[in-house]
Amino acid sequence: MQPRVTAILVARNGAKHLERTLKALSLQTRKPDIVITVDCGSSDATAKMLAEFGPAQFIAADADLNFGQAINAAVQVTPLPTHDRELLWLLAQDSAPEPTALEVLVDALEIAPSVAVAGPKVMEWIAGEYIHNFGESMTPLGATVTLVESELDQGQHDGLSDVLAVSAGGMLVRHTVWEQLGGFDPALPTVDDSLDFCVRVRLAGYRVSVVPGARVASAGDGVAGPNQSSRGRLRRRRVRAERSAQLHRRLVYAPAGALVVHWLSLLPLAFMRSLGQLLRKEPGAIVGEFSAAFGAAFNGMRVGNARRSFAKTRTLGWDAISTLRVPSAEVRRRYSLKREASLFGLHGERPEIRFFSGGGAWTMFAAAVVGIIMMVPLLGADTLTGGGLLPLSPSLPELWASVGYGWRDLGLGFVGAADPFAAVVAVLGSIAFWSPSFALVLVYALAFPLAAVGAWMAATRLTDRGSLRALAAALWVLAPTFLIALADGRPAAILVHLLLPWLFFAWFAAARTWSASASAALLFAAVVACAPSLAPALFMVWLLSVALAGRRVMRFIGILLPALALALPLLADQGLRGSWLNLVADPGLPLPSGHAPTLQLLLGLPGTDGWAGVLDRFGVVGLDPQLFVPILLAPLAVIALLALLLPGARLASGAWVVALLGFGTALAANSLVLAAFGAAPVRVWSGSGLSLYWLGLVGALVIGLRSLHRFASAPGVVAALALAVVVLPLVAALHLGTAAVREGTGQTQPAFVAAEAQIDPRVGTLQLVPQADGGLLASIERGAGATLNQQSTLDSTDQTLSAREKALAELAGNLASRSGLDTSADLAEFGIRFIVLQPAGSSVEAADTALRTETALDGNAALAPVGDTEFGRLWQFGETDAAASTPVPAQAGGVFGLVTLLIALAVVGSTVLLSLPIGAGREAVRQANRDAIRRAARADAKQKSKRVRRTKGAVASSDGDEGLEPPVGTDLEADLEADLGIDRETGVGTALESDDGFSDDAAEPVEDTHAR
Amino acid sequence: MPDRSQLARIGGRAGRGVLGLVGIAVVVATLGAATLVTLPTIEREPQSKEISPSPSEQQRVCPGPLLTLAEDSTQAQAASSVGAASAVYGSVEATSLAQIRPQVTEITAVDDSNSRQPPLLLTVPVQEGATVPPLVAGSQSQVATTDTIGGLAVAACAEAVSDSWIVGGSTDIGRTSLLLLSNPTTVLATVNVTVSGESGPIDAPGASGILVQPGEQRVISLAGLAPNVKSPVLHVESRGGQVAASLEQSSIRGIEPGGVEIIGTTATPATNQIIAGVRVMAAVTDETVTTGEGFDAATPSIRVFVPGDAAATVQIGVTSADGTAAGTSTQVDVEPGIATEIPLSPLASGSFSVQLRSDEPIIASARTATDSAGGKDFGWFSASAPLAGDFAVAVAPGPSPTLHLVNGGAADASLILTPDSGTPVDLQIDAGASAVVPLSSGARYVVSGGEQLWALVDYFGDGVLSSFALNPPGPLASSIRVYTH
Repeated sequence: MQPRVTAILVARNGAKHLERTLKALSLQTRKPDIVITVDCGSSDATAKMLAEFGPAQFIAADADLNFGQAINAAVQVTPLPTHDRELLWLLAQDSAPEPTALEVLVDALEIAPSVAVAGPKVMEWIAGEYIHNFGESMTPLGATVTLVESELDQGQHDGLSDVLAVSAGGMLVRHTVWEQLGGFDPALPTVDDSLDFCVRVRLAGYRVSVVPGARVASAGDGVAGPNQSSRGRLRRRRVRAERSAQLHRRLVYAPAGALVVHWLSLLPLAFMRSLGQLLRKEPGAIVGEFSAAFGAAFNGMRVGNARRSFAKTRTLGWDAISTLRVPSAEVRRRYSLKREASLFGLHGERPEIRFFSGGGAWTMFAAAVVGIIMMVPLLGADTLTGGGLLPLSPSLPELWASVGYGWRDLGLGFVGAADPFAAVVAVLGSIAFWSPSFALVLVYALAFPLAAVGAWMAATRLTDRGSLRALAAALWVLAPTFLIALADGRPAAILVHLLLPWLFFAWFAAARTWSASASAALLFAAVVACAPSLAPALFMVWLLSVALAGRRVMRFIGILLPALALALPLLADQGLRGSWLNLVADPGLPLPSGHAPTLQLLLGLPGTDGWAGVLDRFGVVGLDPQLFVPILLAPLAVIALLALLLPGARLASGAWVVALLGFGTALAANSLVLAAFGAAPVRVWSGSGLSLYWLGLVGALVIGLRSLHRFASAPGVVAALALAVVVLPLVAALHLGTAAVREGTGQTQPAFVAAEAQIDPRVGTLQLVPQADGGLLASIERGAGATLNQQSTLDSTDQTLSAREKALAELAGNLASRSGLDTSADLAEFGIRFIVLQPAGSSVEAADTALRTETALDGNAALAPVGDTEFGRLWQFGETDAAASTPVPAQAGGVFGLVTLLIALAVVGSTVLLSLPIGAGREAVRQANRDAIRRAARADAKQKSKRVRRTKGAVASSDGDEGLEPPVGTDLEADLEADLGIDRETGVGTALESDDGFSDDAAEPVEDTHAR
Repeated sequence: MPDRSQLARIGGRAGRGVLGLVGIAVVVATLGAATLVTLPTIEREPQSKEISPSPSEQQRVCPGPLLTLAEDSTQAQAASSVGAASAVYGSVEATSLAQIRPQVTEITAVDDSNSRQPPLLLTVPVQEGATVPPLVAGSQSQVATTDTIGGLAVAACAEAVSDSWIVGGSTDIGRTSLLLLSNPTTVLATVNVTVSGESGPIDAPGASGILVQPGEQRVISLAGLAPNVKSPVLHVESRGGQVAASLEQSSIRGIEPGGVEIIGTTATPATNQIIAGVRVMAAVTDETVTTGEGFDAATPSIRVFVPGDAAATVQIGVTSADGTAAGTSTQVDVEPGIATEIPLSPLASGSFSVQLRSDEPIIASARTATDSAGGKDFGWFSASAPLAGDFAVAVAPGPSPTLHLVNGGAADASLILTPDSGTPVDLQIDAGASAVVPLSSGARYVVSGGEQLWALVDYFGDGVLSSFALNPPGPLASSIRVYTH
């Protein structure tokens, strides 16, 4: 009896590929005896094409039928097989067989009766010389392995015959076996359906074989086997389906005894694998990971049915196929080979940086030298003091305890949210774990080189020219706002200036890689934590990015998350107070600053330029800094403005948007007084806004100079030199003695108190500071004194006085007066053992208050004068047991503190994992390989189409195989464009991928980057 | 024919140029507008609480009788008292004006070898339930008619403080100045005296670390600290206990006494100083001033001192208290650290108030003299601190006691002078104006209704002249603004 082949063609909305498939089918040298076409509810021309093909049967089925079910629907209309030479040929809309495919396949089954399933060599649809899929197998642990994929077919695998499984599309299977095994498992809709079937075939005692001579092209439409598109949503769905299939198979194949263990491991594994997905830069896969785990865990019926039907047909043990499995080591070896190929692309992704050869190292070195010259008076310091600089808590646990919602040991202490800045300080302090306070010295020592490197790296996003990058670094380092922040001792503002270029650097690439996106999110959180006043401006930039991001919007959406998670408790606290505006108050020690004229802000100066003092000091007359400073800064502004006229104007306009946002922030900050330190109102520091302003200016300047090509050097050097002259007094601030920052002793309290704090860490010191208006600031410091990490804007912006604060004011007022009040009881109640009267400022009223207070304290019989110290005059009060009277409440944060801490940990933790620049995952490497093949095909097709166009079709091809050639022309190109448009999204560069937006045309960089 | 694509390129470039110009215009306009527009500001006020300290007992020290250095040359530094001073004092409860009797104790004058009448210490304890301290006033007067000392000396009974300034005295030939330091507290006071003269600060080794035991008065001859200084200025600082300081100055012209005065403390350094009353006994003209000798003692003058480091430009306004005579206004530059005497001229005789405005904190006192048939005397008129609210005046016996008032506040003041016996007097003083009220000798008054008054009481008669300024209770008892964060 002759073999009888029933070809079953399943299609769903596949008109695009169907034509070629149908044509290929009709060109078979060995025609199938019966053709049954199944249309799964297509909405396009598919049904018409299938019907017109003239099949023996045309079945119109539901859209939700998967491949296995559609085949079954077709099999049901055929008569039951009477002998084992009745064959089923499973085809999908995108399974275009070569003319001899069926003939070779049928031969293979004819020759070997023990073979029940024969699979063709599945080739790429477009790049026809590449193998798409050739034989499948499993690892010893059950993971699916495709034996050959994405390889150029040079006949190197033609020796392959017996395999564990073949793919579904193009598979020829004996009808009897199909009936015996019940077809594909309905629980495996797309992925692993054929693998599972073939495994069951094998264990039922038959063989599965690949037939190298039979070639079928597949486009990966997702009808037979998963959709191979690299488009985000489809890709995520495929990854989820793969995981679901793997878990389902694991539960089906497992011995009954191990079932419970497997079932219990589902969720923990999903959690562990999610962390892995973050590291692999596949955050989108996490949802699928969990839904696959839940799906496998709570679909008991499907697993049970599959296990029963498997047991019914199984005649052999697992040992029978162990030789067909691929050892894990082999899988790893193959993966690493592929990865190597892809990593070339990964590293080639940013060939433009060249830190060492491009002069970055030299720039850093030069900045370090200038920095050392500026910091000479601070050389050898262990700690710094002055301005807003305070020591950090001496141990890491204390440092980290000041993060999150809980007890704020500031003044009288209260339960409330820490500023997100406390987290930044904690990270900073952890770097210098042996002595956290030293971290601030490090920041000062490395401020110049770090700023230079940051700016240099940021400039790599804008220009290839080393000289322009160095210029950007110089302009950034010499930014007046940076130098003033250094001299004034504003750690938060310094950090903002150091982090902003990196934020730009990461943000610029955020559309391209998850790693950059996550880095940008972390940097955004840090910058906003250091300068909450920048949040509105950065939010605007974020909105612009989201609006322009298009498909890559997910990469930008998440940028806000870590900042929000960190600020959550503070948002709640300030929200309860109803004072949202207070959220932009500067964190850290409140530092009063004067109102700066708008014109001065325009020059990038949040404070005075220092020229007036210098000219006065050296007795120079006839020079007016109000005149020459703007003139010297003019070249910089002119070049930055000129950039709007030169090529690259779009990017320059983006830079100007940033600059204007920064300037607006500085203006707004300048007119906001939210906090107070004693009688001194504390203005929001406008310097942070000016850092952003400067970032935009320098960016525009670099873009402008970039377009001047070889004429760039003179204007650039002029602008830099002029700026260097302007900031001379600021650079020399430490030498001139105009800087607030100086070498510290590591203490904020007299040594006597510090020694006492060693014994009793809760010892209370009442700090009395005479105020310029004649008032008195009274605050309690516990232990060794105030720390930077304990500062809180909740406290500095508080507009009410609590009952305890009023009581403290009453006590301090009476202590500072000739009073009839017995202060002993109150001092003991507040846990005060020492009183320090700090020296008064220059104001007459403050001096009067200081004198009055000193007189009153001297005359207080309960107090013993200790003497004058570096921090003021000290008195001791003997009868206080501080630890007993003012303990730190345990678990002050309560449930809210715990929940917000966990949220912050989860969000920041996953962002950190996502940001780690570890190479892409296995799946991404596979994808990259596939994409590379398609791109090669496109390049090939382009050449061909040119050739075709040139010959104007004069050479009409009469070749009968013409239809099997990849169609050339607009259809193909559109197809490829659609595919390649997404390639960047995979996060994996390949050697062929060029993401350098400037390599083609400097004027037209990556479209949506101009807003940054 | 130009190529189509060429045209398109040119058009594109032009379009880009226009767009760029628009961009530049937008940037410049935005930045320019920002500099022109005044932005609204949001300013949160710092939170604080005004604390009125619980009232405590009030203490005043009267300096005690006039002292003279021993004629015995073997004991040139030993002082002995001359005669006795008569004191008038009183105290009233601040709200009800009910009389309270002060407890009077004595301060031990350890340096007085002839201790017949020691200085008095007035103590007014806190009344039950009182929230504000009582009003306390006291003054003393003494007329000396010995061979070496002659004239009238009145003084206020003063509160002990830890930091005070005395502008006055002289250790020139024929002049004797004695510094009286009384410690009414229960704690040992360590006193440092800094003396500056017409040639700058004076290095006085004995002036630091002067110990004043609780309840004792020390007398220190200024000549021992700073000899031959014509215009000393004293800064008295005490640690531990507080002291009430005053300076007794006497002079001899030839063989007849040239007058005596007990100079009280002057107001602490401030840019605005007011001397509520200066009595000019004889008219001065520019002519008399320029004849050097006349300037020496008899010419009304002001001694100004700048305690800071920067030179001060001082505007001195002299206004007739009752509008009967024309005043003067002069501007002088005063070097820091140097006591500067500025003559007041021309002036008619009468009563004046003096206002000094400076760009740097200063201290000041005025001096005038009388020379008539009845004898010679001089008087020091110290600047005082403003009196806020009610205050009491105790008028020690003496000739023609007169109260000088200056209303330095922004509002007109309606005052009521209530004597301890007699009918109250109503008094209206416009803002910035001054008034002169004759008082009866030996009486006590309560002046109520004032907001910001400077006050001084002077005495004058035939060949006698003296004054004391009225100061508010020390700042230690005043309310204070306390910030807690």
